[in-house]
Amino acid sequence: MNILFAIATGIMFGLGVYQLLRRDLIKASFGFYILFTAINLFLLAAGAFEGTVPAYVDAQNEVISGGTPSDPLVQALILTAIVISFGTYALLLSFIVLASRRFKTVDSDEIDDLIG
Amino acid sequence: MEIALVNAVPFALAACAMPLSRWLTARALGSLMAGGMALLFVILVGYLPTVSAQGALEMLIAWVPSLNLNLTFYIDGLALIFALTVTGIGALVMLYAGYYFEDAAQAGRFLMLMMAFSGAMLGLVLAGNLLSLFIMWELTSIISFLLIGFKGKDKAARVGATMALIITGGGGLALLAGLMLVGAAAGSYEMAAILNSGDLLREHPAFLAIALLLMLGAFTKSAQFPFHFWLPNAMSAPTPASAFLHSATMVKAGVYLLLRFYPVLGDNDLWTGLLLTVGLLTMFIGAFWAIRQNDLKGCLAFSTVSWLGALVALIGLPNGYGLMAALVGIIAHAMYKGALFLIVGTVDHSTGTRNLDELSGLRAKMPGFAVATAVASLSMAGVPPLFGFVAKEVLLKAMDKAPSAGIVLFVVTAAAALTVTMALILFWDVFMGKYRVAVANHQPAKDVSDPHHPLGDDAYAAAPHHHDAPFPMLLAPAVLGVGSVLFSFLIDPVIKPLIQLTLGTPISLYLIPPQIDLAFQLSMSALAIGFVIFITRSWWRALNLPKLPTGPEVYRAVLGSIDAAGDLLLKTQNGKIRHYLIVMLIAVVLFVVFSNVANVVDWSRARIEIKSAADVLKIMLLLLSLGATWASIAFHKHILAALALGMAGYSIGGLFLLEPAPDVALVQFLVETLATVLIILILAKTSTREREKVIQQAQRGTPRHSNIRDVIIATVVGGIVTLFAVAAVVNRPSRQTVAEWHMENSLPKAGVNDVVAGIITDFRGMDTMIEITVFGLAAISVYTLLTRPPAGKVWRRLQQHTAMQVGEESSEVRADTTPRLSTPLTRFAATIVLPFSFLLAMAQLLYAGVGPGDGFTAGVVTGLGVALWFVAFGYDETKKRLPWLRSGRLIGAGLVLAFVNAAVPLFFGREFAAITIFKELTLPASLKLASTTFFEIGIFLAVLGGISAMMEAIAHPKEVESL
Repeated sequence: MNILFAIATGIMFGLGVYQLLRRDLIKASFGFYILFTAINLFLLAAGAFEGTVPAYVDAQNEVISGGTPSDPLVQALILTAIVISFGTYALLLSFIVLASRRFKTVDSDEIDDLIG
Repeated sequence: MEIALVNAVPFALAACAMPLSRWLTARALGSLMAGGMALLFVILVGYLPTVSAQGALEMLIAWVPSLNLNLTFYIDGLALIFALTVTGIGALVMLYAGYYFEDAAQAGRFLMLMMAFSGAMLGLVLAGNLLSLFIMWELTSIISFLLIGFKGKDKAARVGATMALIITGGGGLALLAGLMLVGAAAGSYEMAAILNSGDLLREHPAFLAIALLLMLGAFTKSAQFPFHFWLPNAMSAPTPASAFLHSATMVKAGVYLLLRFYPVLGDNDLWTGLLLTVGLLTMFIGAFWAIRQNDLKGCLAFSTVSWLGALVALIGLPNGYGLMAALVGIIAHAMYKGALFLIVGTVDHSTGTRNLDELSGLRAKMPGFAVATAVASLSMAGVPPLFGFVAKEVLLKAMDKAPSAGIVLFVVTAAAALTVTMALILFWDVFMGKYRVAVANHQPAKDVSDPHHPLGDDAYAAAPHHHDAPFPMLLAPAVLGVGSVLFSFLIDPVIKPLIQLTLGTPISLYLIPPQIDLAFQLSMSALAIGFVIFITRSWWRALNLPKLPTGPEVYRAVLGSIDAAGDLLLKTQNGKIRHYLIVMLIAVVLFVVFSNVANVVDWSRARIEIKSAADVLKIMLLLLSLGATWASIAFHKHILAALALGMAGYSIGGLFLLEPAPDVALVQFLVETLATVLIILILAKTSTREREKVIQQAQRGTPRHSNIRDVIIATVVGGIVTLFAVAAVVNRPSRQTVAEWHMENSLPKAGVNDVVAGIITDFRGMDTMIEITVFGLAAISVYTLLTRPPAGKVWRRLQQHTAMQVGEESSEVRADTTPRLSTPLTRFAATIVLPFSFLLAMAQLLYAGVGPGDGFTAGVVTGLGVALWFVAFGYDETKKRLPWLRSGRLIGAGLVLAFVNAAVPLFFGREFAAITIFKELTLPASLKLASTTFFEIGIFLAVLGGISAMMEAIAHPKEVESL
């Protein structure tokens, strides 16, 4: 099952890279967003075991309802990653707003101030 | 400890120099610094008996022990000779500098640099650790750069400073590599251990590299051919700096290095051959160019180069034959050359010129200086009974023992003869003859392309009138002149013991040679030949020598070719971000392809098993998320693409739910909602015209081949990521992981039933702390970027630039911040939702350890409530009605709470971020309290503050105005 997740990660990553290469800055930023999602998906796939119950323990320190718990570590990592990606993405969007104000365009090909 | 204080004193005085220059005159300031240096000189003299009784002293202060970086001081005779030179000459130069500069502020800046340099130079010669030696070495290069460029408005000063920095700095890099090799080979970076390692380094396989690298460092610093040219170009430094750094101390650092490592690296064929060749070449070339200079400082610079060459050649001699001569030479040279530099500075100061052609007969106006110059130049020429004579005697005597002594002695005698000529020119042409100072049409030579005129004017503008130099300006060179006489008669009581202490062997040193030997004969013939060359100077000065490529020309050619290469590379830049991205991606792909990672995957273990109905559901959600992502690419309209993106995110949230990972799923749903809201709000903030234009461009203006190229790149990158992901999933051990440990310990150690919450708040709590910091910073950056236009020239220029491009087109300016969505219904909804979101957040905070939801989700939930307010009420009304909503303070409060909560255990003798569970507390509704609860509240505050900062920035009225 995790193999499918891994393959989906790759496909989503490819889609993100394609989107990232658009000249439309807003769409390129969507590409970033797709990459963030793809990486979260990968972290999920990398979980150590395929759980059937949430990673909770009861008062006796036993896994609740006795099944295999899902890997809690990757969940904690994803949790952190989601929040950080959101913050980063918001920053990226405000850069685009700034670029649009300065250059009066959101077309990255028209913003060519990098030429030395 | 005491020696560390000695070393710290110059640095401390340097720090005081600038502030003190407000209250003190330049003279008082100079005297104060001179007093400090004199005191250090006395203290250092006090070390002599101890060192001669106990041998080398070592004092160690651990600095960065894990890097073997210690602040070690190693004091032996060699270090003391150099340290005494630095402090002794330093005291005189500081005193002099106070009179050289009239402006206190300028003197303050100058003395600050000079004192900092003295500190660095003392640190260098007293260093007992290779790395601290290197740091001090670099420090001297940097301060030398600052001093050469002291008159930064002058082009010659800037060029000379850069040249010196590039050459000595480049040598410094070689030195660092060499020292690291020494450290690795000897197994220690401590000087004492290395000096006691005997033949270890000489027999080490890396000996060749070590020796060459250290020599490169020494040659560049001590201005050896072919790196010598930076020194004459460094003469645009104020003269006291030239006297101190570029004659007496810093340029001798290379000589010090060679002497220091002689016991472990010296005395073999490579060492002797290279040092002797380079040293003799430098000695001759320096002496030859010295007499062809017109600028007095240029003469002195080249003759310094010559003498440095002699020292290097002496250190090259086998069996340590030359060491004694080198040490005597260092002392003699510091005396007479320091004096001559200071006198030239005074001549410049008084007459406004340093050009030989424009000066003569100065003895009429400056009789004291004439006497001092006579003594110093005679010492330089090596006339008995001055100390320079002793130095030349031992030099010639030592060179007699060189391999192929005939040629060596010939070169040395020739160079010595030229030095005699130089000394005579300095004294006779400047001070004797008819009094004349002709500075008419005085053009300060600023063009460094002329090797004979590398220098600019000095601190004083050309002034045709003569003004008298104050007495202390004579005092410093006079003391040095007296020293040149006195030391000859102090050989037995002072010099001999000092050198014996350094070398550790008895030496024979005398003023009057017991019999007339070869050295004495050569010394006398050098005097005679030098005199003849001096007499015929009007003839050979008129001669035109064939032009050879000079050092500065080669230097400029090298720099020019680097520039040209840079221009060539710049042509490859087309300024399009996407293209850079493509290059990077292709590089990654190539790297992966050539590193052969495809073999990493063990395909035999890759199996797809569909066990339950939940798995079928998972596959469907995966397909849904991929489809939605695809749709976000296919939709041209931004709003549709954003919604499709949100859908993909929700599908992923569904996958988390099925994992089952309820905490993550909750966060994913909430953040996805928030992100979609954010994207739509930002879309509303960007001009519709611009967005439609780019959509049309993308549809019509994109050539087919570039689209195919992008598809190929995306496919290849996606394929590689798939490989990696599959490899990671297949190859990882599925049992016995750290996850098991987390499962077992989260209740006993962190006191929570929710293992994920346990990891977030305790096991990986530090990550979380950093994470909320990053989140808060990102939010503040968004706020700053969107609400405040960047200040300054760049912004104004850009505004003009864009105004020209788009003309006078006015953007959408809305004075009223009340949004269109502000209807009674939305206002009502917003008013109701916010309190409920707080209720929800509180529940999630209090039961964070028991059920899904934690500080993040609480923050995001209330953040969405706040966002709704901004949508429904607009900026002004929201700020008025919700006075507690101060995003910056919320972020700050959250971070402080999280940090304080983590720091509190420190006061109870526990480690940072240790968890306390309040078990005794019986709370209603099966509530538990632990220190993690406070952490969760901190996270909540920071996240709420961050989200409201973003929303506030988007709703900010200034945001509209600054469009």
